[in-house]
Amino acid sequence: MATVVQIENLRKEFGKVCALDGVSFEIQEGEWIAIMGPSGSGKTTLINILGGLDTPTSGRTIVDGVDVGRLDEAGLTRFRAEKIGFVFQQFHLVSYLTALENVMLAQYFHSTTDEREAQQALERVGLGDRLEHLPTQLSGGEQQRVAVARALINHPKLILADEPTGNLDEANEKIVLDLLRELHTEGRTILMVTHAPSIGSLADRRIDFSHGHLVPQLAPVGSQRR
Amino acid sequence: MLARLVRESFTRNPRRKILTGAALVVGMAVATATLTIALEVGDRLAREFRNFGANLLVTPHSDTLPVEIGGVDYRPVNEGAYLQEADLGKLKTIFWRHNIEGFTPFLDVPASVAEAGGAVTVIGTWFEHGVPVPDGTTFKTGLSITHPWWKIDGGWFQDGAAECVVGAALAAKHPAEFKIGGTINVVKDDGRGTKIPLTITGIVSTGDAGDNSVLVPLSVAQKLSGHPGEFRSLFVSALTKPADALAERGEMAQNDKNIQLTPTEYDRWFCSPYISSISFQIKTVLPRTDVRAIRRVAETEGRVLLRVSTLLWIVTLAALIAAALAVAATSATTVLERRSEIGVMKALGASNFAVTGLFLLEQLMLAIFGGTVGFIFGAGLAHVLGNSVFGTPATPQFVLVPIVLGLASIVALVGSLIPLRRAAHLRPSLILRGQ
Repeated sequence: MATVVQIENLRKEFGKVCALDGVSFEIQEGEWIAIMGPSGSGKTTLINILGGLDTPTSGRTIVDGVDVGRLDEAGLTRFRAEKIGFVFQQFHLVSYLTALENVMLAQYFHSTTDEREAQQALERVGLGDRLEHLPTQLSGGEQQRVAVARALINHPKLILADEPTGNLDEANEKIVLDLLRELHTEGRTILMVTHAPSIGSLADRRIDFSHGHLVPQLAPVGSQRR
Repeated sequence: MLARLVRESFTRNPRRKILTGAALVVGMAVATATLTIALEVGDRLAREFRNFGANLLVTPHSDTLPVEIGGVDYRPVNEGAYLQEADLGKLKTIFWRHNIEGFTPFLDVPASVAEAGGAVTVIGTWFEHGVPVPDGTTFKTGLSITHPWWKIDGGWFQDGAAECVVGAALAAKHPAEFKIGGTINVVKDDGRGTKIPLTITGIVSTGDAGDNSVLVPLSVAQKLSGHPGEFRSLFVSALTKPADALAERGEMAQNDKNIQLTPTEYDRWFCSPYISSISFQIKTVLPRTDVRAIRRVAETEGRVLLRVSTLLWIVTLAALIAAALAVAATSATTVLERRSEIGVMKALGASNFAVTGLFLLEQLMLAIFGGTVGFIFGAGLAHVLGNSVFGTPATPQFVLVPIVLGLASIVALVGSLIPLRRAAHLRPSLILRGQ
C-alpha cells in the first residue's frame, strides 16, 4: 500500500502557544484513521494543516507526494480543490444553494460542473429525492450527507472529517457512519476527528493526541473489528 | 455555475442587496439630475442672461473718435465711418452662427424736432426686422431680442413706416406734444433736410439716453441722415461660455503678436463659444470693425455660470461619495454575514480571485440596476428641478446613460474595495471554527 500522508516532526505555534509539537506519523492508502483527544489537544490544527487550510511552523507534511508546507497561497488553493475532501461538524453548506448546487460548487472550484455526476453523488448518499432542497429544508443528517457527497465529488486522495457526527442524533449518526464505512470499504483514505471512543473504534487505527503530542498507541483497533 | 451562484444569491438572500441597490439608486439619481442640469445649465443660464441684453458691441474701425454721452453718438452725420446694413446677414454664417441670438443696428442722428422745441437725437433701429441670410433664409431680429427690458407704453413702430416711439423723459417734458397717436416733424439738425412727419406709436422707457430721444425705424434715420443702408453701431446678443485660461490666451493672441496659440490650441479656442472667439469670427465677416465685449454683462455671466456649474459638480461628487460610503457599509456587513460561505468556498478550493470575483459580479449587477433605475429617477428629478429653477423642464440626456452606468460601477467597486480585500484575506481555518 502506498503512503498517502507522511508527517515528520510537525510543529505549529500560535504565538506562545504550541498546538502541535513534534508530531510524526504516516497514513497508508485506504486507511481509516481516528484522531482522538481532548479539546485543545491539536486535533483540528492537524486537520487544518493536512487540508491546506493552515501552514505548519516547522516540520514536513506530505500528502500524496505534495509537501503542503512549501505551497504558496495559490498552490494551497489547488491542493484543497484536488486532493482533499472536507466534512465539517457544522456541515457548512451554502444556505442559498440547493443540495445539488452545493455539490456542484465543489466541482466548479475544482474544474467544471457536471450536474449528472453531482446528482449521482447525492443519490449515492441516499438523497436522490432531495436534490432541489435548500439546507434549511433538510435534517441535520441529510445536510451532513450532502457534505459527504460534496467531499467525494472530486475524487480526493484524502477525506478529512472533523467531528462528522458531532451535531447529529443517534439515527443520523448511524447513517453517516455507515456511509463512511462504505467509503472505507471502497478503499478511500479517511482521517476522522472524534471525541467519542465508540466512533473512534470503527477506524482501522486510532491516533491519540494530548497537549499537541502523540500519545503512544499500544495496538491497532480497527483491524480487530474488521 | 457562476451565473447560478449570483442568481441564487440575489433571489434567496436579497436583504443586503436591496440596501446596496437603494444606495446606488439614490446616488445615481442625484448624479443624473445634477449632471443633466450641469449639461443644460450653460445654455439655459446663457439664455436667461440674454434677457440682460447684448453682450457684444460692433463699431466701425473708426477714423474719428466717437463723441458718446450716455451711449448716444453725438458726432455729426458726415463724420466718422459707417457700417453696411447689407453685411449683417453674414453674421449668421460664422462658425458659431447658431449662438448669435440676435443683433440690432443703431444710427444716432442729431435732429431738430419742432414739437420738442429744438435739438433731439433721433435713433434709428429695428424692433423686429427680417434680415436676409446668404443661405436664403430670413433671420428675425431687433430690439425685442437684444433689449428685451425696454418697456413700451403703446406699441412699437412698424419696420420702415413713418412712425416713431418717444423716450419717456422727453415725453414727460412735453406731454402735450408727445402723445400716442400724435404726429411730430423731424428734420436734420442743420435744417437742410426734408421734414419727416412721424406718428407716435408709443412711449418707451430704456433706462438710458434713449429716454431723451426719439426712436425711429432704421430706414427713416438713414433717410434723415442721408446715409441709406448704413448705421453706426451694432449690439449683438450671443450665447457664450465662461472665459477660462484658453479664452484669455486666445483674446491676447488677437491683440499681441508676441503671443501665439499652437494649432491645437487655436482649434480648441475657435471651436469653443468664448466671447473672444465669437468676436473674432464676427470681425472676419465684418471687416474694418471693432468688436468689443460688453464686459459688465459678459463677466457677470461668466462668474455666475462658473459658480453654478462648480456647485453642480460638487453636488454630483458629494452624491457619488455618499453612495460609495453607503455601498462600503453594506458590503462590509455583507462580507461579515457571508464569511462562513467565503470560508467554505475557500476550503473547497476557491481562489481569492474566484471569491472576490463572485462578490464583484454581484456588485456590478447591482451597479447596472442602480444606474438604470437611478437614471430614470434622476431624469425625473432633473425635470422637476428644471421646471422649478429655470421654468422649463430639463430634457433627459440619454448620452448620460453609459456615464451613469460607469459611475455606478465605479462607485460599487470603490465602495466594495476594502470589504473585498478583507474577504480575500479571510482565513478559512478560523472561519470554519467559528472565529
